[in-house]
Amino acid sequence: MAVLSIRPKAPRSPAPSRNKPVRGRRKAVGALFAVPALALFLVFAIYPMLRVFYLSLFDYSLTSPPEFVGFENFTYLATDPQFGAALWQTVVYAAGTYVPALALALVLAHALNTRTRGSGLLRLLYFLPVAISWVAVSVIWRVVLNPDGLLNQALGLHLNWLTSSGSAMWGLVVMGVWKETGFFLILFLAGLQSIPDELHEAARLDGAGAFARFRYVTWPMLLPVTAVCSVMAVIRGFQAFSPQLVLTNGGFGTQVVNLFVYKTAFENARMGRASAVAVLMFLLLFGLTLLQLKVFARRDR
Amino acid sequence: MSGPRSKAARVGRGTAMTVAGLGGLVFVSVLVYAVLTALKPASEVLSVPLHWLPSTFEWSNLTLPFTETPFARYFLNSTVVGVSVTLLNVVTCTAAGFSFAKFRYRGRDTAFMVVLATLMIPIEIIYVPLYSLVYSLGWVDSFAGLIVPAGTSAFGIFLMRQAIGNVPDELIEAARLDGAGDLRTLVSIVVPVVKGPMAALALFIFMLNWDSHLWPLLIASDDEHRTLPVGLSAMQADNLGSAAVPMMLVAALLAALPTVLLFVTLQRKFVEGVTMSAGIR
Repeated sequence: MAVLSIRPKAPRSPAPSRNKPVRGRRKAVGALFAVPALALFLVFAIYPMLRVFYLSLFDYSLTSPPEFVGFENFTYLATDPQFGAALWQTVVYAAGTYVPALALALVLAHALNTRTRGSGLLRLLYFLPVAISWVAVSVIWRVVLNPDGLLNQALGLHLNWLTSSGSAMWGLVVMGVWKETGFFLILFLAGLQSIPDELHEAARLDGAGAFARFRYVTWPMLLPVTAVCSVMAVIRGFQAFSPQLVLTNGGFGTQVVNLFVYKTAFENARMGRASAVAVLMFLLLFGLTLLQLKVFARRDR
Repeated sequence: MSGPRSKAARVGRGTAMTVAGLGGLVFVSVLVYAVLTALKPASEVLSVPLHWLPSTFEWSNLTLPFTETPFARYFLNSTVVGVSVTLLNVVTCTAAGFSFAKFRYRGRDTAFMVVLATLMIPIEIIYVPLYSLVYSLGWVDSFAGLIVPAGTSAFGIFLMRQAIGNVPDELIEAARLDGAGDLRTLVSIVVPVVKGPMAALALFIFMLNWDSHLWPLLIASDDEHRTLPVGLSAMQADNLGSAAVPMMLVAALLAALPTVLLFVTLQRKFVEGVTMSAGIR
């Protein structure tokens, strides 16, 4: 689940610890309310998280007991061309999909941030793909990407989008942009609406043109939202799985990391090696998130 | 950006809206194409040149997924799992939010920090050990395996703690002075005040779960437990020919219908859920 909060400061509500706490025996009773959620967390999130680090050091096939192999899984991955390809293809898919989706969402958010008649309907048109599951989207797009399908006929082409190494990734990317733009549009619209009108008004009175107002008012005010969007885009990009499984089964240069892990773990029964990939992805995503936050924090000043 | 003042601004706005409008048409054309193609006779689905409208509307296509595949079963499974996961999340997250926001006890802040730390862990990273855990619990090919591990969420706890933190302490104290227990206070005082955030959370979790593919594929891919994403994907693998295009499109569109309808009617709640999940509001 790609939810995160990167607000540096305390949330706008009063910190609960400042509220007058309830005294006496009620303290213990209060802790009980957190027990169901915390129990589920411990068993189904914390324990697997720790265990993935442990398992990455073992050769493990689920049916036989794990056998300690040290860093062998990692050294294997370092030289496995399939893993290298999966990593590269994930980067291509993520960048190809999310850079255009973010740019498009940013532009559209500016156009649709009005109360003009029609802007509500337009928002809805862009939001709709967000509400459809990835697999349903993939099934629909198999027809759109068919050699005789909508995309080719609109572009005047006759490409075998999904069955050639040159185009399969780009077919998935076009579909990804269609599916994901609306998600970021929601976030950018929320960001724009949180900018007080007075700021634009003041800039306008100072004689700032539309571009200057964007450059010196909107853009800096939108930076926190842009930071959230870019972190989410990286995470969502690295979560890619369904379209690649449903439309190409990882063929034609579309094997992304999650599909590689899935096949390593469940088709080749290499649970330890799959865990090692998970550890690497965790470190990579963690690093990328920190890097992005740092970049945005510096520009924020 | 309130009302545009100058003529130039109005022209700029007009251009922007026109471009956005054309883009919107391109975006929605995919769905229009899918709906119309789903209603075509199989022989017309991939005609060159493209005919948007079928020569005759084949309304009987609408029942194809039900008569040819276990689609109804997949739909039912998705509904059962989606509703259970949503209810569980609303209950566990509201209770935990109440606990974290309105009580003070040792370890509370640590526990909350641990929960927040898991916000960033996508299931893709932990699913190998999670699978082996669920496997040893004997929950493979069961609804328990689909529902229980998804029964709470860090985002939900965070959201409900924020919402309940805003409920005035005086309200809660008053309930206690009237002799209400903690559970009673939660149910009859706190819950009515935070209905809005609870609804946003419910919608968000339901839509997320409706989209869930990888976990159900691992944990319950037999016919009896398949949810829509797994079932649709299996149907697709069995029906790649153009003769099956209308049936597959009908299936995909029907699978999309519940979340799309929820989305259209509760758009504001969903937007709230998404923006709150990103910590923007």
